Amino acid sequence: MYSTKYHKPASIADATAALTAGEDATILAGGQTLLATMKQHLASPSDLVDIRAIDGLSDISADGNVLTIGAAATHTAVASSAVVRDVCPALADLASGIGDPAVRNVGTIGGSVANNDPAADYPAAMLALGATIVTNTREITADDFFEGLFSTALEDGEIITAVKITAPAKAAYAKFPQPASLFALVGVFVADGAGGVRVAVTGAGEDGVFRQGAMESALGANWSAGALDGVAASQDGLMSDMHGAADYRAHLIAVMAKRAVSAA
Amino acid sequence: MPNDTQKISVKTTDFKVVGTTPDRPDGIDKVTGRAKFGADAYAPGMLHAAIYRSPHAHAKIVKIDMSRAGALKGVKAVVTRADFATGLAGENWNILENIMASDTALYDGHAICAVAATSALIARDAIKLIDVEYEMLPHVTDVDKSMASDAPVIRAGTADKSVPAGLGENVVRYHESGHGDIDAGFAAADLVIEDTFKTEATHQGYIEPHACLATLDTDGKGEVWCCTQGHFNVQKVCAALVGTETSQIRVTASEIGGGFGGKTVVFIEPVALALSRKANRPVKLVMSRSEVFRASGPTASASMDIKIGMMKDGRMTAASAVYRMQGGAFPGAPMEFTSMCGFAPYNLENVHQIGFDVMTNRPKQAAYRAPGSPMAAFAVESVVDELCNELGLDPIEVRLMNASHEGTKASYGPTFQRIGLVQTLEAAKAHPHFTAPLAENTGRGISCGFWFNHGGETSVTMALSEDGTVALSVGTPDIGGSRASMGQMAAEELGIPYEDVRVTIADTATLGYNEISHGSRVTYASGLATIEAARDTLKKLCKRAAAKWGIDEDAVAWVDGCAVPSGANAGDFDPLPIGKITRSMGRTGGPIVGHYEATPEGAGVSFATHIVDAQVDPETGKTAITRYTVVQDAGKAIHPTYVEGQFQGGAAQGIGWALNEEYIYGTDGRLQNTIFLDYRIPVASDLPMIDTVIVEVPNPGHPYGVRGVGETSICPPLAAVANAVSGAVGVRMTQLPMTPPHILSELGKKARAKKGGANG
Amino acid sequence: MSMIHVNTTVNGDEVDFVCDPRETLLDVLRDRLSLTGAKEGCGTGDCGACSVTVDDRLVCSCLMLGAEAEGKSIATIEGMATTEALDPLQVKFIEYAALQCGICTPGILIATRALLAKNPDPTEEEVRYWLAGNLCRCTGYDKIIRAVLDTAKDLRADAGEAR
Repeated sequence: MYSTKYHKPASIADATAALTAGEDATILAGGQTLLATMKQHLASPSDLVDIRAIDGLSDISADGNVLTIGAAATHTAVASSAVVRDVCPALADLASGIGDPAVRNVGTIGGSVANNDPAADYPAAMLALGATIVTNTREITADDFFEGLFSTALEDGEIITAVKITAPAKAAYAKFPQPASLFALVGVFVADGAGGVRVAVTGAGEDGVFRQGAMESALGANWSAGALDGVAASQDGLMSDMHGAADYRAHLIAVMAKRAVSAA
Repeated sequence: MPNDTQKISVKTTDFKVVGTTPDRPDGIDKVTGRAKFGADAYAPGMLHAAIYRSPHAHAKIVKIDMSRAGALKGVKAVVTRADFATGLAGENWNILENIMASDTALYDGHAICAVAATSALIARDAIKLIDVEYEMLPHVTDVDKSMASDAPVIRAGTADKSVPAGLGENVVRYHESGHGDIDAGFAAADLVIEDTFKTEATHQGYIEPHACLATLDTDGKGEVWCCTQGHFNVQKVCAALVGTETSQIRVTASEIGGGFGGKTVVFIEPVALALSRKANRPVKLVMSRSEVFRASGPTASASMDIKIGMMKDGRMTAASAVYRMQGGAFPGAPMEFTSMCGFAPYNLENVHQIGFDVMTNRPKQAAYRAPGSPMAAFAVESVVDELCNELGLDPIEVRLMNASHEGTKASYGPTFQRIGLVQTLEAAKAHPHFTAPLAENTGRGISCGFWFNHGGETSVTMALSEDGTVALSVGTPDIGGSRASMGQMAAEELGIPYEDVRVTIADTATLGYNEISHGSRVTYASGLATIEAARDTLKKLCKRAAAKWGIDEDAVAWVDGCAVPSGANAGDFDPLPIGKITRSMGRTGGPIVGHYEATPEGAGVSFATHIVDAQVDPETGKTAITRYTVVQDAGKAIHPTYVEGQFQGGAAQGIGWALNEEYIYGTDGRLQNTIFLDYRIPVASDLPMIDTVIVEVPNPGHPYGVRGVGETSICPPLAAVANAVSGAVGVRMTQLPMTPPHILSELGKKARAKKGGANG
Repeated sequence: MSMIHVNTTVNGDEVDFVCDPRETLLDVLRDRLSLTGAKEGCGTGDCGACSVTVDDRLVCSCLMLGAEAEGKSIATIEGMATTEALDPLQVKFIEYAALQCGICTPGILIATRALLAKNPDPTEEEVRYWLAGNLCRCTGYDKIIRAVLDTAKDLRADAGEAR
């Protein structure tokens, strides 16, 4: 009744086949969240499709100012990649601050983006950088990709293969970690990139990662921490939980946004 | 019994082994992964067990249907309360009710039934197939709400005779103590400060979950391997709960992966035994982390009112306290300890304290390092700090002026013998930390702390081998390196190298009863027992030498590992080393074994003074501990490095309690933070180095002056950190933990008050 | 329940085992290979007591499947002392009393060795942040950090002499 099959396909085609054949099949891209939920019987997939052996899925490369990171690239790989450091150092910094070393060695960017945990770090970067999520069937803009709490535009059987990012002129991420998990209690990623100035907030929204419009306007007019003085974040739509109420999170959004701008 | 302790002559100088820092005997086992902890035991044919737990805070159990679980392939046995002994009373009934509910689930996580299966996966799957029908009852998890007259009643009629009439049904025990006239004392004061404080329940947070491997045969004979602070207690409780004779259960204590009081209690061993009896196979039972949080024994939470009067020069005139302690769904919150410890550091003419033990729909609290004392210290030392601030007085000078010393009538009654509080305060005052400049947004906190320490039933055997080396068997699980200190004391007394002593934690079939490793009693009581067993051994060795030399026993002394003739008419013989006597012991009277079996009563109380610097980020409310110094009286440090380790560990746990740790219950009465992902214990990057100063004021009740050191170190940090944070933010912090949102909200209140004041 | 057959290398030795696909690497190490040095303190990747390395990368073995070990090289605490002598870290941990109960010690040693392989000259802060995923409830970390820094210093001196 709770049995699970393990697959390790060597190609996207085999992975898709295994995903479609299984009654309740799930992609295993690192498992740092999935395995913990399975142990609590919160998830009981019929099939686990481990995509990390698929050729090229862990590659990181740059073509001019466009960075492509394979979905199975670990946080450690992103944090220590000279290519990432060159094109988008803020992303390398973000990756180096996820969890602890053991989590970074196994967790992957594709897994994090697909899970869309409301407190995960990567979704903020994807949204602020206007990233493109590449799947086996299509390309999805970050704006269209993140749909809500643990919810994305991915269809059944669709597999993220990479994320593509265009180098921003300036970017930085500031996080106030939830002290126990090191997930973001509030994380703010600011970027001045191809799509203009963007401010993305994770850890705080009831529907997951979101853009902070008022701050984007203020920074668009004047890229400085001072420009955010008096730009308060609204409590509307923010989470309240045991680690912090909505008003505290709103306060932290303003503090972290300024710190991110100063660091960018 | 002060008269007994007077008889002990205390050796304080000329140590050869005591006071050195040899490697611990279990060191290599523990760095190579070979040490066997609770979950590391396996047996042929072994089954794995899992426990079904109530998801509700308070509910009548209408029906338990285990048919689907029992039918799962691989499931070999199921048990409910019906599979345990009946007719129990008192604490045994409480323990059984706590580890396997009868008709009512009393808290989220309360065990209802259990299964044993051929694999851990199957056992856990089977739990998901158990259907329990409940009838929901109203619940209460907060101590103050539980004392209200309209609170849901946990169990009517539980209160004992100590409880005055007119209190709610959930107040089950009451304590009152003190002396003098507090009203007159407060009237005489230049300044009286009164405030209310709250602390949340925290967990001991040992990294090793409870684990055991148990076998119970149909003839009532059983074996238990488990991680515990007291295997003799496990033996006694298990026998009662499964209905067999105590001696028929043999319990072996595994290496223990942390306890701090939380493993003084029995939770799973009787369940494994009952399953084993039904399946006729060995059963292993290991708690998950969330089971540890939900269903082992966290601390009491506390709500406290403190009132202290002081003269302008800092002299205290009177002090009073009311402590309301929440202990879960059973009696036992350590309110008498809280009451007794709070004002113990102070020499008070007028003092009074009241304690309430209050039940709620939470797990039965258990001891956590100086149970009850850290909360009291937090409340009392915060008020002392506030008085010092208001009167512009130095916090150490005020404490020195009022400090308890030898001859002081303690706030809880008896008269202190020799104690070292003043010495810890003097050492803190002289420490460079106390006068170091403070960085921006940083406060410095000072606090004292007190713990009784304990003796308890103790039994030790010392057997000599033919080569003159020693097998020392003690019955107190080694929870902090005690095998090393026992070996040192044995070697010291026998005059042999430390390496010649092998120390073993003996099982329950090998030694007489030994009380649990608690109350900081091991180095004191098992240490005293080791020394006395060594002296018993020496007497026997001297007797053999006397026989060999043909002289009187009294004419033989023991010097540096050898029998020597002693006294004017003893004769002239070469010193006889231990190895020469033991080599021939088979021919000279048989094996030589020393013993000690008694209940030492001379445990010495101990005091500590801590200094801490805390820096608060005014934008986020986040606190960083930037410097920490522990000063504590150890009486005599047998192994100074391990004593430092106890000081540092207690401080770190106290920092966690002060800043981050808390049991968070939802409105549904369910525990919200049941894994380390949500319950934050300090990690390496949260802490600075922790400096230590060992003060040695000998305990007159131990042959070498040892005082317990394990617990006192957690008494001052809650208050010390709170005083530092209060100093940094300019607001008196009266509730723990001082999380970032909590501190930021206090800062916000202060800013608004200032603004309001300016406008007004 | 269909079991899965896995070929792997543990502490340099070729090993094979059969396991349920849901079993973690930690379950397999402990229950099938009798390597109980790695401990389960939380089962959710938060305490680090189950730390091992897989192809020289530090991981929580409780958050990896046994099936994922196929073709990999696993190193556990049992393989740390490979000769008559203990590893210098092990020696220093005993000397500094960098352990009390010892339940976290295997994980901390494995994590520390992974750090020193990457960074032979870490600062105190780097050690503290690297070990932030390894909980110790007994020591307050002071003696652990000192033992790590002192071992690193000795190893650098040895390496200097070797050159």
